[in-house]
Amino acid sequence: MTNDPRKTPVGPTTPSGCGYGVHGLSRRNVLLASLAIASVPLLRYAPAHAAINDVMEVAPGIFVHQGRYEVQSPANGGDIANASFVVGSEGVAVIDTSGSARLGAQLRDAIRAVTDKPIKYVINTHMHPDHVFGNAAFKQDNPEFVGHYKLARALGTRKDGYLAANEQMIGSEAFAGSEIILPTLSIKEPTKLDLGDRELLLEPQPTAHTDNDLIVTDLKTNTLFLGDLLFSVHVPTIDGSIKGWIDVLDEIGQRKAARVVPGHGPRTMELPEALVPEQRYLSAIADDVRKQIAEGKTLEQATKTAGFSEKDAWKLFDQYHVRNVTAAFAELEWE
Amino acid sequence: MTIAFAKLSRTICGAVLAAGIGVLATAPAHADEDLWPLLREQAFGDRPISEESGFVVLETPQKVEDAAIVPITVRIPPHVRDQLKSLSIFIDKNPDPKVATLNFGPAAGAGGERSFSTRVRVDNFSHARAVLELEDGSLHMATKFLSAAGGCAAMQAKDPDADMTGLGKTVVRTFSPALSSNPIWSGQVMIKHPNHNGMQLDINTAKFIPARYVKEVKVERDGELVFTLDSTFSISTNPNFRFTFGKGDNNELDVSVVDTDGVAFEGMSKRPSGS
Ligand SMILES: [Zn+2]
Repeated sequence: MTNDPRKTPVGPTTPSGCGYGVHGLSRRNVLLASLAIASVPLLRYAPAHAAINDVMEVAPGIFVHQGRYEVQSPANGGDIANASFVVGSEGVAVIDTSGSARLGAQLRDAIRAVTDKPIKYVINTHMHPDHVFGNAAFKQDNPEFVGHYKLARALGTRKDGYLAANEQMIGSEAFAGSEIILPTLSIKEPTKLDLGDRELLLEPQPTAHTDNDLIVTDLKTNTLFLGDLLFSVHVPTIDGSIKGWIDVLDEIGQRKAARVVPGHGPRTMELPEALVPEQRYLSAIADDVRKQIAEGKTLEQATKTAGFSEKDAWKLFDQYHVRNVTAAFAELEWE
Repeated sequence: MTIAFAKLSRTICGAVLAAGIGVLATAPAHADEDLWPLLREQAFGDRPISEESGFVVLETPQKVEDAAIVPITVRIPPHVRDQLKSLSIFIDKNPDPKVATLNFGPAAGAGGERSFSTRVRVDNFSHARAVLELEDGSLHMATKFLSAAGGCAAMQAKDPDADMTGLGKTVVRTFSPALSSNPIWSGQVMIKHPNHNGMQLDINTAKFIPARYVKEVKVERDGELVFTLDSTFSISTNPNFRFTFGKGDNNELDVSVVDTDGVAFEGMSKRPSGS
């Protein structure tokens, strides 16, 4: 995206292609949708499709909402990342809360349409605003807010920037009530959380997409929530370490899972195929950038050519690719 | 600084910041304020400055993708044959508008295109300027507008732990010209340094990380001065400089660096012989 607000698209665009209702054809999902709408009076002020009411049960007790392949805008209200919850016999864990308090509240309503069990854990897979700003809607439940042990530092240092920028992108009304909530439970070693008859395994990762990525596994169904370690369709964004990310993906590729849930992409995917496009994208950048560094080329030169073979393979390539190359170059020139 | 700084400090990271990984800027509060007359007076008094006179060209990206690492290049076209005295780079609305000042020495070279490139932080929508001083004392300026913001306070280190490892490592490279008859060589200096600007918050202490940045870089070719560079925290993390120098006998560069803590680092292009 451009940094010039004069060129930034503002104002609601036509609510087409939003997938509203498209996925919710089962009776249960229709019910969830109507409940969510009925219980969120504020919704009528938001564009009709900026709503998290299309959660789908992808495995027993596992529900996923799919975000849109877009940059935050008033039209989408910040609904651009996947958000999930897992229901045990004694409680519920939320995994990522979407991009505003309003969207978080809708997610909470979707949970309440399924179960009245207490919401015990709100887990953030990493620091990015489209995954954390819905946290505020769960304060009333007094859950443990859970994240990688470096999440608190990452959010703390970026707090003001994230608030200002997201309010500006989404609009102050749709963003109202959103706040940064720091984790109350920090994960430094692999840790299990008990939801009653089902356990979640939380594994902090070395610097990859960010320096605070957490993989959550529902051990009962062997479902992996990869957060933004996995992008599909939406171009990956590097905000940590390209080398570290490639390594983490290699490790994930060795795993067996019934399904994985990406941070951006369809609700579920399968290993190892799910990783392939992203691995190809990151390798293309790393290979091109390394070659150009070896040839004595500059950062500016690299940003004009490196990784452009991937241009047609991703949505939002124009918004993020040059930035990714810049980050990769600044990292790889120190190899 | 005086009045200019008081004025400028109001714009410190005022508006715009990182949205997720993307950077999106709100309109700056003082977009219309022209700070240049003050800056200019401080730096050059009432000396005349010719603008866009073809003596100096400033290149900035059309679309800034990451305000914390904005590549800029200053070119002095080959038709300019004069020896260079100094080059000053400004970003009007940065907390410290003076980005870098180079004072050239005898090994700076002449007789071909000369250039200087680095990567800067851009805190607010602002003009960037390169003011070149020739041997005869004449001043020439090129100006570009930067539509990027949030580089100083908002853009935090991607991996603060990694940033502090290897602090001070200084890599120096030289590049011979494509044509051996060209008297202008180019060089690169990379310095591993977080260049903390004092505006990044440390969540553990709830205090700002103290400013610590590369202050001075001296580059010599075969023992003769290419330039000394006075640098500020407007230079990005891991300061990176590309520059030209005049061809010498061995074309080996020696680089000495001092940061604001008074710690000195050194680098050289010559590879140590043996293993
Ligand atoms: Zn992310």
